Amino acid sequence: MRIEHWSFTIPLRLRSLFRRDRLEQELDEELQFHLDHKIEEGIARGLSPKEARYRALRAMDGLTQRKEEIRDTRRIHWLTDFVDDVRYAVRSLRRTPGLTALVAVTLALGIGFTSTSFSGVDALIFRPYPVPHPGGVLSLVSTARDSNYDPFSYREFLDIRAHTRSFDGVIAHTAPGTVGFAADPADPPHPRTGMMVSGNYFRVLGVEPRLGRGFRDDEDQVPGRDAVVVLATDFWKNEFAADPAIVGRTVRLNGRNFAVIGVLPESFPGMGVFINPDFYVPLAMAPAFSTDPRKHFFEDRDDRELSLKARLRAGVTRSAAQNDLVLLAKGFARDYPELNRNRSAAVRTHFEMLTRTDTDASPWKFMVITGILALAVLLVACTNVAGLLLSRARSRTREIAVRLAMGAGRFRIVRLLLTESLIFACLGGIGGLAVAYANLRFFSSFTIPAELPSKAPFHMDTRVAVACLLLSLASALLCGLAPALQSTSPDLLHGLKAADVDVPGRKRLWGRNVLVVVQVSTSLMLLMAAFLMVRGFNRGLAEGTPFLKDRLLLVRFDPRLAQYSEAQTQHFYRRLTERVRLAPGVLGAALTQNPPLALEKFDSVTFVPDGFEMPRDRENFTSTMDTVDEGYFDTMGVPIVRGRRFLASDTADAPRVAIVNEQFAKHYWPGADPVGKRIRLEKRGGVPVEVVGVAETIKYRSPSEKAIDFVYLPLAQHPVPRMVLLTRTSGDPLQWVQPVKEVVRSLDPNLPMLQTRSYDDLYRYNAVDGPGAATRMVGALGAVGLLMALAGLYGLVAYNVSRRTREIGIRMALGAAPADVLRLVMGKGLKLVAIGTAVGLLMGFGVERLLKSGLFNTGGVDMLVYVVVVPSMVVVTMLAAYVPARKAARIAPTQALRYE
Amino acid sequence: MSKPNDLVQGTLDLLLLKILALEPLHGWAISLRLRSVSQDVLQVSEGSLYPALHKLEQEGWISAEWKQTENNRRAKFYSLTTLGRKQLDSEAANWQRLSAAISRVIQLSEV
Repeated sequence: MRIEHWSFTIPLRLRSLFRRDRLEQELDEELQFHLDHKIEEGIARGLSPKEARYRALRAMDGLTQRKEEIRDTRRIHWLTDFVDDVRYAVRSLRRTPGLTALVAVTLALGIGFTSTSFSGVDALIFRPYPVPHPGGVLSLVSTARDSNYDPFSYREFLDIRAHTRSFDGVIAHTAPGTVGFAADPADPPHPRTGMMVSGNYFRVLGVEPRLGRGFRDDEDQVPGRDAVVVLATDFWKNEFAADPAIVGRTVRLNGRNFAVIGVLPESFPGMGVFINPDFYVPLAMAPAFSTDPRKHFFEDRDDRELSLKARLRAGVTRSAAQNDLVLLAKGFARDYPELNRNRSAAVRTHFEMLTRTDTDASPWKFMVITGILALAVLLVACTNVAGLLLSRARSRTREIAVRLAMGAGRFRIVRLLLTESLIFACLGGIGGLAVAYANLRFFSSFTIPAELPSKAPFHMDTRVAVACLLLSLASALLCGLAPALQSTSPDLLHGLKAADVDVPGRKRLWGRNVLVVVQVSTSLMLLMAAFLMVRGFNRGLAEGTPFLKDRLLLVRFDPRLAQYSEAQTQHFYRRLTERVRLAPGVLGAALTQNPPLALEKFDSVTFVPDGFEMPRDRENFTSTMDTVDEGYFDTMGVPIVRGRRFLASDTADAPRVAIVNEQFAKHYWPGADPVGKRIRLEKRGGVPVEVVGVAETIKYRSPSEKAIDFVYLPLAQHPVPRMVLLTRTSGDPLQWVQPVKEVVRSLDPNLPMLQTRSYDDLYRYNAVDGPGAATRMVGALGAVGLLMALAGLYGLVAYNVSRRTREIGIRMALGAAPADVLRLVMGKGLKLVAIGTAVGLLMGFGVERLLKSGLFNTGGVDMLVYVVVVPSMVVVTMLAAYVPARKAARIAPTQALRYE
Repeated sequence: MSKPNDLVQGTLDLLLLKILALEPLHGWAISLRLRSVSQDVLQVSEGSLYPALHKLEQEGWISAEWKQTENNRRAKFYSLTTLGRKQLDSEAANWQRLSAAISRVIQLSEV
């Protein structure tokens, strides 16, 4: 019935839409036909033709109204009205191109910046896993006193998988790591990103390979048996040119042959935000990959390297699953109390994992702060547009009053005015998309120089476009509704009497004043935030990076990739540094696990300091640490403030030594000389380590971090397989890549150099460019906000001037000097600037607190902000008020009096 | 202006459908027919006739066609569609039920 109905009506509606003229003509003809007959009938009854005609028209009850009624039956009047409104609105907007452009640009900037930060927030917090039913996938974490997101060990994973009843499958994976990859066994290996996963990984996630198959559950049962690998789509395309016959081929991973069994679909780029693996291998192949060499991956219950995820079983609540897991964790603590002291477990959602707060200066925090600031800009933009529309609508008071008097419904006129703001919003939305696109291009133009290739996950997608659209619609309503309702309030008498009157009472102006105050204060806040961020980053850089940054070449090694034993590894590193030091132009060479500000995670060391009273509920402390060789402090240029450096004599057989940073010394031995003190590893009564030196506290992880405790251990006494070779050179460090490569080749031609770059490069990205881009974005927000506030203020004063032109004329005719007029007109604007500045200062103070707690850890009030930002803001806003005011003061009285 | 013989709300549609069910007619002829068949009891204002016809057309119940009249003028002839036939049947049935019910109420003898 419905469809049958439409088959009749849709052609009719279309006809009504597109053959409008024809329909009108037919309507006239039809009614004329009727009238003619009626008139004839009248004449036949003996009326005069004139009388007959009159009667015929009378019988129609008003021809025009009837025609209108008939047009309404076409059911498209809402559309034709809308088209009329749009046409009318476009015409009236074109009459004021300057204002239109201003409003559109204002909205475009507001919408664009908000969409940009939405994209960031979305990528970092909200975007779901790229799997079917992503909401059911939860993360299982081991928790301890100081950490809430720990992984599990292989043994624990097996126990959890075997005993939990809340999940439809528990999967495990390692962190993505570097793997020496060769497409052909004869090729030298290249570093690529690999990840070990449990056999049920793809099945539980619901990922169907596009080629071949995923892992079978039994492929992670026997250590070392099933050398199979599944490739990610991008890797398959780049490395194998999307070879359709890839399944069954043999590739070499870390010196072992693996059979390719499948290729993942395009829809599954991986579960990570920044880093995703190039290929996946079963957990059972762990011996071939880089797990902690001092532990036994398959046996040790405290070798916690596996992240667990699970699909919640239908009908099971999250809290039930949580209880289930905690019960299992209690079992672990009962059976293995030594390894599970203070340990429990928890179930966490994707969102909770993404918004973890345990890492320093998390990017998501920055994105959220930027998002809030961008929303503030959009708010300023909307109030600005509302203000502009309000003044526009008020200068049209008479036009609107005439329309109302002629019988137009109020709703109809509100609709017309809303259509105008909708057009603004459309222009703003389109511009906003462009702004967002440009911003995102700018952000994704950074290549993150980490060892594993990672991508900034910001891009233009439908989610961003939809956000843009919704923002435009919301802002259209926000900035259009109030002016539309206000200017159509049914107060016809006043409206008709004068072209532009001030309706008694100050209520309306009050609204505009609030708008200006909001604008001035919000943009002041934005500027202060931008200024604080720039200063915060710069100060962090100036204070914590005394080390040398240029002419330093970085090469990372992991001899495990070539199946080295621990002894072989240490031997290799000794020979490597010895030989590199001899190369011409090399001023020094050293080894470190992780140079400062290099984007890699630092290890931590657990210890008990001698002579420090332990809190009752603690058994030990942990600190961030680095393993370095004896040349490190000279080569890197990290100053030693007390005691000595590591020496070649600190061998594995010598007494164990450590160097701590000033912060560590201040923390555990305040006021005492730390040199000669001891810490014990792991626990009270553990291996004693003597502190032989104190290094200056520097920035280790990010330029904005707080001063943290830090311990250096000598490589000889704390052997670590993955190390970075630092080579200080006498010129451009990249010139020395080849000599270093030759040294490595002379030692072992099969050992891959994982990451080769100049330190300067890395430092520039991590400490200068990245934060720079961020501050630039906030700075742009501040500038846009200020621009808008200026436009708003200018608009207000200019509007006041035009409204009072006549009054000004009278005053001048009566003898007022231009200066008096200037004072009169500007006074109001200045008062608003003063109020706005006061409010803005308060808001800025709040933002300063927020920034310091969230991003920077610089103490004290930054006076410079108040000294620089506030006065310049005041001066600039005064200028915005001055320009229109001066215009008013220059009006010739005769002209002003004649002004409508 | 009071109209004592105003049509019961909604019955105009029914009348128009019924008249057009007999033969295709133009507006003027419909107004004449309405007057004559109801013996001047039902006076449809000519003003409301055309909006009603156009409404029925937009609903898809009647369709219009321009044809020559007997005295060679072009006129818009309306005719019932299959959809309109169904609508007529259901509205007629409704009307019968309604009027029967009302008659029964009116014929109740007062006690």
